[in-house]
Amino acid sequence: MPKTTRLYVKMSIVYLCLGAVIGALLLINRWTPLGPAVAALKGSHVALLVVGWLTQLIFGVAWWLFPALKIRLHPAGLHPHRRGQTQRGSETLFWFTFACLNAGVVLHAVLSPLRVVFQTGPLEVLADLLLVAAAITFVGNGMWVRVRELGKAGQRADADVNPRSAAERGAAWEER
Amino acid sequence: MPPLARTFVKASFIYLIAAFLLGALIMLDRWLDLGRWFRTVYLSQLHLLLVGWITQLALGVAYWMFPRFLKEQGPRPRGSNRLTWAVILSLNAGVLLRFFCEPFYLMGPQAWLAALLALSGVLQAAAMLGFGWLMWGRIRAMEP
Repeated sequence: MPKTTRLYVKMSIVYLCLGAVIGALLLINRWTPLGPAVAALKGSHVALLVVGWLTQLIFGVAWWLFPALKIRLHPAGLHPHRRGQTQRGSETLFWFTFACLNAGVVLHAVLSPLRVVFQTGPLEVLADLLLVAAAITFVGNGMWVRVRELGKAGQRADADVNPRSAAERGAAWEER
Repeated sequence: MPPLARTFVKASFIYLIAAFLLGALIMLDRWLDLGRWFRTVYLSQLHLLLVGWITQLALGVAYWMFPRFLKEQGPRPRGSNRLTWAVILSLNAGVLLRFFCEPFYLMGPQAWLAALLALSGVLQAAAMLGFGWLMWGRIRAMEP
């Protein structure tokens, strides 16, 4: 699992826990009123779980597991270049996606309960634009072309990233 | 696929079918006016889809596919089975409790129904925290 994916997945699990705890607070608030501020957290609950958790997890895992970009063959024609992370797309751009997505989620989660007190409209638009930027850069950063059939070249590219198949690795571990 | 992952995934399939059936009934109710109850299950249906189906499927597949613990980290490659069972039971008890209590609460709020709903929220939050605890160490590079 590449470093980028690890951070995406860890952040998504953090948002999952935060979103679930806020959900529990919202339900407890129906039983024993905890204060008017708690009811205002509904928007944060949805943003954290739908974008912070599910969307971010999907981004991270798709980046890790989708077929690699078609490989550029070695000039000698015998061995493919080992390009590591770049076989997935631009890592820099993927970090930019990460920054936009998380800034958008955090802004949404923070601003949503403040909507009743402050005029948060412009900042909420900014949060939405950040999420749009995250979506466009994610799809545009090689993901569109990575949604493809695995032909011979694709299989070679995969073999380059993961020399052993997942099944082989799994079997080896079970044997141990 | 290990048995515990299969439990996650099969449970998520059941919620998928149940939620879609319920969605069809809600639509049918708009047309045939089947009963007041159907107007109160909208939130429960959404919850079945987002937590029971999508989230539970994601948890199950992550439990199955993420890099396993190294042998020196413990005897179980996917972590504690007891904790995993606790996550499954807690999550599903929370989802079902909410599903069965929320429509009645919306039809006539009562303290004991609110308490059960609060319990369902706590159960689901506990499941998510347990899952985070279970998986954190497995979010690592494939080859150390």
